[in-house]
Amino acid sequence: MKTWHFILVLAVAGLLTLFYKGLWGDPRAIPTVLIGTQAPMISGPEVRTGETISTDRFHGKVILLNFWASWCLECRTEHENLLAINRRFSQHPDFVMLGINYQDREKDALEYLQVYGSNFDHVRDIKGAISIDYGVYGVPETFVIDQQGIIRYKYVGPLVGAVYSNLTETILQPLLERRPSPSS
Amino acid sequence: MFIEIGHFAVVVALVLSVIGIVTPILGLKTSRPDWVRTARQAVTLNFFLVSIGMAAMIYAYLTNDYSVKYVAATSNSKLPVFYQVAALWGGHEGSLLLWVWILTAYSSLVVWMHWRTQPVTMPYLLSVQSLIMFGFLSMIVFLSNPFERIYPVPLDGKDLNPLLQDPAMVVHPPMLYLGYVGFSIPFAFAMAALFSGRLGEEWIKVTQRWTLFAWIALTTGILMGGYWAYYELGWGGYWGWDPVENASFMPWLVGTAFLHSVMVQEKRKMFKVWNLFLIIVTFSLSLIGTFLVRSGVLSSVHTFATDPGRGLYILIFLAFMLALGFGTLIVRSGRLKSRVELDSIVSKESVFLFNNLFFLVAAVTVFLGTLYPLLIETLKTAKVSVGPPYYNAVFMPVALGLLLMMGIGPSIAWRKASPDNLKKNFLIPIVVAVITTAAAWLIGIRTVFGMAGALTVSFVSATIVMDFAKISALWARRYEINYLHAFYRAFTNNQRRYAGIVTHIGVLVMVVGIIASTIYQVEKVVPMHIGDTLQLKAYTIRMAGLREVSGANWMGQEGLFEVYQGDRLITVLRPQKRIYNASQTPTTESAIHTIYLGHIFLTMPDIQPEGVTVRGLVNPLVLLVWIGGGIMALGVILNIFRPRMKTGA
Amino acid sequence: MKKTLIITLIPFLLLFSTVSSRLTATTVEEEKIDLQVREIAKTLRCTICQNESIWESQAELAHQMRALVKERLLKGESPEEIRAYFLSRYGDYILLAPQKSGLNWLLWAGPFVLLAAGGLFLYRTLSGWVARDGAEKQDVPPPIDDRLRKRIEAELHSRED
Repeated sequence: MKTWHFILVLAVAGLLTLFYKGLWGDPRAIPTVLIGTQAPMISGPEVRTGETISTDRFHGKVILLNFWASWCLECRTEHENLLAINRRFSQHPDFVMLGINYQDREKDALEYLQVYGSNFDHVRDIKGAISIDYGVYGVPETFVIDQQGIIRYKYVGPLVGAVYSNLTETILQPLLERRPSPSS
Repeated sequence: MFIEIGHFAVVVALVLSVIGIVTPILGLKTSRPDWVRTARQAVTLNFFLVSIGMAAMIYAYLTNDYSVKYVAATSNSKLPVFYQVAALWGGHEGSLLLWVWILTAYSSLVVWMHWRTQPVTMPYLLSVQSLIMFGFLSMIVFLSNPFERIYPVPLDGKDLNPLLQDPAMVVHPPMLYLGYVGFSIPFAFAMAALFSGRLGEEWIKVTQRWTLFAWIALTTGILMGGYWAYYELGWGGYWGWDPVENASFMPWLVGTAFLHSVMVQEKRKMFKVWNLFLIIVTFSLSLIGTFLVRSGVLSSVHTFATDPGRGLYILIFLAFMLALGFGTLIVRSGRLKSRVELDSIVSKESVFLFNNLFFLVAAVTVFLGTLYPLLIETLKTAKVSVGPPYYNAVFMPVALGLLLMMGIGPSIAWRKASPDNLKKNFLIPIVVAVITTAAAWLIGIRTVFGMAGALTVSFVSATIVMDFAKISALWARRYEINYLHAFYRAFTNNQRRYAGIVTHIGVLVMVVGIIASTIYQVEKVVPMHIGDTLQLKAYTIRMAGLREVSGANWMGQEGLFEVYQGDRLITVLRPQKRIYNASQTPTTESAIHTIYLGHIFLTMPDIQPEGVTVRGLVNPLVLLVWIGGGIMALGVILNIFRPRMKTGA
Repeated sequence: MKKTLIITLIPFLLLFSTVSSRLTATTVEEEKIDLQVREIAKTLRCTICQNESIWESQAELAHQMRALVKERLLKGESPEEIRAYFLSRYGDYILLAPQKSGLNWLLWAGPFVLLAAGGLFLYRTLSGWVARDGAEKQDVPPPIDDRLRKRIEAELHSRED
């Protein structure tokens, strides 16, 4: 066998293996780089009241961020679950939940909240700066930030079924039970 | 009813393709020529059968038969008739049918033309072509059936993707497939040469015109795709290094290398194994392109719906074809002993080899860039993007190297170029190139890309001008005729060579278009209201109005933009923003005004009550890209239809 | 020789000067910042689109990203800092030209290494052939120009009738 035979066989085999493996990947799944990093500060007007909300106020708390929009159909499927999360954890002094209204018209966002109801605050992301800060691809996306202000969790897509129970039982509950370390 | 007939015809074609694979080989083994004839009939019959399949589909489109699932997914009762036919190749299943149809057409034509003259090749060719047919027909029948019915029958179709409702998109896929599939002919001939052991120059001489035809179709297909992207996608560029564009560009690059390299085998009987390798790679890349586009491994604007099962099937077929092609090459090429004769490294032979090297490296660059994200995803489960900035940095230098070789190759001598030959042919071009580059610097071209472009383009142009000038002068002197007449006679006397040079001129024209439209492009994206003006170079664009418009299957808004040069109104441009009724998909329709081979290009990406976002571009000399493409095609046509050359005295 | 040079050169210079004067004379001074926005935007992928940069894309997110690029430029950030910011938010996926580090060198240097290796290989193979041919045949073949000239003459004569 000559050298070029060997190289050729190797190249073709390698290529086919690559293609085979590629078939089972999802070209649309994108890993995030933000987990474990300091969460960017958020500041903006509340959708309904217009008063400025800033995450500075929530220092030392666990924050659940949910990016949504009125035109987003998948957001509607998770809406009841979001309300349930807040009902369950809002008694906890260390828990804050914030909606981020993404690429939306003010009127549409207001209407959405009126129709579907809400029990937590929503910040309007007017110039998209918050979404870009959080590396948001599309709505819905959900983040959990711990007491030290570190991003612990990110999920792209609606919080339904197993995703929902996973978030509440293995992420939020343990985080809230943990005492804030005295150093922070 | 017709649909069932079409479906049945295609199923029969699948069965016949098995006969086409087996009988010629059996006939050969048992020395029974009638068995080979059976295969010929099977292949020819397949053309008619698949034609029936095509006709049944087109009939379903024209009668708005939405009980056919594929028709319901790609057509609509309001879709103009023109596009109803083209909708057949607007999706995965139908375009696959078109692919097979073109394959059967090529196969029967080749068999019909070469049956008498190439008796030894025919059994192998029939078998290989039938094998490819089998691969694609079984995919149609088992995995991607366009004849499938749907129940309940939808009231109306979902409509053809609005982006594809465009004249260029009617012709672009057939052209592209004529190219891809056309390369199966030299591939099959090469396989036949390897199997039969007749490894001379004959297969190359016979397939030369077929290869040229496939090349011209692929080139036209790619250029049309570029023009479509240019005015339909609305960002004013004609090439985005999208995976699907790359998939068509790779076989083009290697196919072009092959077209050059075979000349050495014809003239000097060298590089035999190399040429076999090149044509196998070219056709393999056509198949790989099909895999990439249809399996969903890469995300792209143009990919068809994802389905791992379908992808797995194409992958198995691809693996089989690659194993067949390269396996045969490895096992059988040991018999080949090219008589290598070379007198000097400074010779046309070695320039051809370096030309091949550059073409291959160019193809590898595109290949690497296209597949690198996939590689990273499998190795590290991370995501990367490889886009235009990468190709601009890595592909462009290689392309400029190729361009430079285009100047050297045609003028350098075979075997050994003497210093005298070099000086006579290249001294003046070098001087011209240096002066032009200096001039480029003086008029303000400062980018490396622009300077290198000016250098190479002027060098190559100068070699061509000198070439034509010399030969005309020579013939004029000999025959005492005027230069023009002399040029004509010299050209037709060795039309193959000069047709090739015409193609090179086309490349140069295109390169000038690419460089000029890149470095002199002006582009602005601004919000505008009625009455606002936008300044693009010397042109003032005033938004004069915005009105509602509608077409057969869409509604939308049309902007009215007056274009002034100084105080003079030169044109009114009307870009549109459309919403197609059936799918509710928005599109932006660009408005283009041609001026001095360049374009003033306007689109309205976004219309809001607060203002209209207007994207305005001036693309100087951009038309040269397609004019150059036309000249390239003209050169190849002159090559295909050249008069028979007189064999040397 | 000189005459040919001048004759070859004249059409070039004429064409070149007319074309380029048309192209450059009309260029107006553009706002530098917009050009910079364009340059940066063309290197960032619109993450929700398929294969479009945020410059080309018409998506709302791309629009906002462009605005953010401009805002940061006005604040005095360098193009590199802006790209680094987007990288820190979205990861490698957002860069249309991958970073020049680690495995990515395969992508950046691969083609050039291949070109150099291939060139070297070709050069050595060709030299080998030349050396072997030279050893086989003692006398150097007649220069090609003579042959070619003869052939042209022969062909010319054959066309005479």
